[in-house]
Amino acid sequence: MNYFVKGNPDLCIGCRTCMIGCVVAHEGKHIFEVDPDSYSFNPKLHMVKTARLSVPVQCKHCENPACMAVCPVGAISQKDHCIVIDTDKCMGCKSCMDACPFGAINMTVQTGKVQADGSEKKVANKCDLCYGLPGGPACVRVCPTEALTLVTEEELGDAMERKRMEAARNAYRETHPQE
Amino acid sequence: MKKEIGSFVVGDSTKCTGCKACEVACFTVHNRKSNHVGNTVGTVTVPVTPRLFLTRFEQGCMPIQCKHCEDAPCLNACSKGAISRIDHQVIVDAEKCIGCKDCMQACPFGAIALLPYAKDGRLVAQPMAEEPKVFASKCDLCAGIEGGPACVKVCPHQALRLVDPEAEREEKNIRAAESLLLTKDWR
Repeated sequence: MNYFVKGNPDLCIGCRTCMIGCVVAHEGKHIFEVDPDSYSFNPKLHMVKTARLSVPVQCKHCENPACMAVCPVGAISQKDHCIVIDTDKCMGCKSCMDACPFGAINMTVQTGKVQADGSEKKVANKCDLCYGLPGGPACVRVCPTEALTLVTEEELGDAMERKRMEAARNAYRETHPQE
Repeated sequence: MKKEIGSFVVGDSTKCTGCKACEVACFTVHNRKSNHVGNTVGTVTVPVTPRLFLTRFEQGCMPIQCKHCEDAPCLNACSKGAISRIDHQVIVDAEKCIGCKDCMQACPFGAIALLPYAKDGRLVAQPMAEEPKVFASKCDLCAGIEGGPACVKVCPHQALRLVDPEAEREEKNIRAAESLLLTKDWR
């Protein structure tokens, strides 16, 4: 099973530190030294704020990803419990963006790259669970309120097993009231 | 907010009946001025050149058209500079197109066809060739044509949809965030 990061709206204060942590992890600390106008800030998760809640939304790393199925050039693949985009293969057709029911994919400018007519090159951008980066998902590490959790197959399996046992115990108590 | 990526039209194979009204409407609106095409068959003196392509496949049918890619392979493949991005859409300049077929080969959707080029109700001849001039015919989202994409408007089954990808993404984000309220106690 793929892993995924999920936010808890009860804990999230909407500070966007996760978005900054994401960009720093993927781009390196040099972004603090460049002219902000020359740089395209592309976090791979999106802070959602409504009247009821604030929480970041990011890729769920689906087991049968709609984005992967719809990509015409095979730029989206599964690697080590993770769905990743090969931005060199991506040609920005937005099919994945349309297919994703969570809005977890956006199109972002590739800094320093242009198309044949000189216009900006944009490709699909989404959470890759900090694939290949040391320390695991940066968003989870930097969140000041610990509102983000990396959910692994083991953890989800354990939680399901616990819930089933609890359900079985409750059902047993129902049929054996005197015990 | 500034729209930063291109819109596109997508078909829905669960609704499409293959009537080709989209193809006819597409041809009509693009040739009203240049080829005096009106609302009746009698006004048509040039070949019907749609910019989207009704496609039949094993399970049904649907129109296939350009996605206006953000790193467009057709645009990057065009050696003549005949394809450019105007207001976030990928547009072919039919006058500049030399029919080299590179864009057709670069497009992974088959969203481009080389079709006869007509002006003033007549095919444009090439003095030294038997065949008339052709152009890379692809969706331009009805750029410069009043009322937006004709295919979407004309479809009798509402099988075509104009997608504003960033606006839809934001709506989906909000639904995903709301649903996190339901799963927050997953442990």
